Amino acid sequence: MRNNWLNTLLAVAIAALQSFASVAQAQAVPSEVRFAYAGGPRVWILGKIDGAFEKAFGTKVKWIPFASGADVLTLFAAKEIDIARFGSSPAAAGIARKLPVEVIGAPEIIATSERLIARKGIATLKDLEGKTVAFPANSTAQYAFEVAVKLAKVDRSKIKGLALKPAEIVAAWKRNDIDAAYVWGPFSQQLEADSGKEIFATRDLQKDDVLVFNNFVVRKEFAEHHPDLVVKFLRVAQDKVDQYKRDPDAAAQLIATHLDIPLETARSTLSGLQYPSLAEQLTPAYIGIESTKSTSRITRAYKDTANFLADIGEIRKTDVPDSYASAINTTYLQRAVAVK
Amino acid sequence: MNSRALTAADALSRRRTTNTQPSLARNVVTWLRRRKYALISATAVLLFVLLWQLCGSLHWVDALLLPPPSEILGTAAELISNGYRQTPLWQHFFISVARASAAFVVAVGAGVPLGLGMGLSPTLAAALNPFVQFLRPLPKIALIPLVIVWFGIGESAKFFLIFISTFLSVVVGAAAAVLGVSQARLRAAQTLGATHHQIFAFVVLPNALPELFTSVRLSIGIGWTSLIAAEMVAANSGLGWMVINAGSYLRTDVVLLGIVLLGLTGYFFDWALVQLQRRFVPWAGKDA
Repeated sequence: MRNNWLNTLLAVAIAALQSFASVAQAQAVPSEVRFAYAGGPRVWILGKIDGAFEKAFGTKVKWIPFASGADVLTLFAAKEIDIARFGSSPAAAGIARKLPVEVIGAPEIIATSERLIARKGIATLKDLEGKTVAFPANSTAQYAFEVAVKLAKVDRSKIKGLALKPAEIVAAWKRNDIDAAYVWGPFSQQLEADSGKEIFATRDLQKDDVLVFNNFVVRKEFAEHHPDLVVKFLRVAQDKVDQYKRDPDAAAQLIATHLDIPLETARSTLSGLQYPSLAEQLTPAYIGIESTKSTSRITRAYKDTANFLADIGEIRKTDVPDSYASAINTTYLQRAVAVK
Repeated sequence: MNSRALTAADALSRRRTTNTQPSLARNVVTWLRRRKYALISATAVLLFVLLWQLCGSLHWVDALLLPPPSEILGTAAELISNGYRQTPLWQHFFISVARASAAFVVAVGAGVPLGLGMGLSPTLAAALNPFVQFLRPLPKIALIPLVIVWFGIGESAKFFLIFISTFLSVVVGAAAAVLGVSQARLRAAQTLGATHHQIFAFVVLPNALPELFTSVRLSIGIGWTSLIAAEMVAANSGLGWMVINAGSYLRTDVVLLGIVLLGLTGYFFDWALVQLQRRFVPWAGKDA
């Protein structure tokens, strides 16, 4: 008796699931596209403000906030997001861990948007010996810090490194618990407002050919089902960069108002990034195209980052892929350029 | 069920008697009978681990989402020899145990007298209860931002987070243990002319101790769970930190290893307390 009842229930549930699945598959456009974004001022936020992504997709966009790039990996693993803009070093870690994602673009090269802010009396990286430095865990800022220390031949074992979330960095700074912090805006500006001084910026690494950047990463399954949306996404993101370049002040103002942060903070963070265009990204100086991507600067940068993370023990050496080229899909970029 | 098991065992031993080693067979049977429940537990765990391993070996579940036990063992071996983030695994373990133990000792040392006091004195209870009852159910993670501002990012912040969650449960448990002492016994002692001191030492304490031990066990369980919250605050070592940090690099194998170690350690704490309880409160559960 009871078994019968259970069976019926199961059958109904399975039937419902099946019809639901077939409906979902038949849909050309998903009911919503989920973006993961850091709370900070970034150019693509302009598309959040005016709904440009929704208009291009013809469906809803859900913006899911995260505190640092490390959270993005978990969100991807849980299939809770479709497209994310986050840092190259967590992306390198995630791909090494065989997260089913693809890099579709590298829209922002980090220059001065992420900086090492220190207290008065600390002028160089060398001065950090014996001091405490905070950074967000598994972030581009941490990567830049570790590489900078290594390149400056400073004894890393003499520096106490602390992984803190950006907001916690500000609290720890106010309590004098840390002497320096490598972090992005708006937090770096908050430290400067409290007598901090910049002693290093990620741009300074470029002369040593170390590239730290933010990438657009897409969930592989999503990209396979909706390649057109991915192309549209890149197109709109580039439109927003163009809009920013046409009038940086107006764009900064819009973003500052939307995020409720000081205008100056938005302005300095936005101008602290370099924005290679879609066409520029397709050159080997950045990502390259399908035939050139295996030796492009970005592909090498991922590999360097992963090697570095393996050296400090965050990921397994055996997990680092021989090349990151297979995790980079340039076809969407190529199509987005062609659409123009 | 039991009688059937007995007859089966008897039959087995009878059959064995015809063999050359009758005493050995009987020993095995009695051993099995005495360990029946331990064996059931062990089999359940074994089956579970086997199923878990199969999930990985047969690729039912992606190893990224659920690393199989074999991978976790490999990771354990790797971390034991190379350490995790320049810190040996045993050091992560002992730092966590030390942090928690320090907080437990202080929490029990302060919480038991205070709780007993609240149980004995309605005035004290009335004065403190609003605070205790407000703070106790509060998720301790909510306190983290304040704890950083108040205590900084050193060991004191971590100590405080574990201490506060253990302490409040101990206080409530101790007060309840005193209130649970039967009124009839208290009256009997009073009628016989016992002093306040005597009533406390010979009636209240012996009667409250079993429940007191139970509440300490529960509190330490709660305290151990807040280790993660504590090590979310600017830690560089410890099992909780290891789990959080590995999670940010999607090192799910390290995460699971940390979880296994956290669970086993919590199990051990509880086991140790049960042993203490048997030693010091042998009358627990044997009330008339």
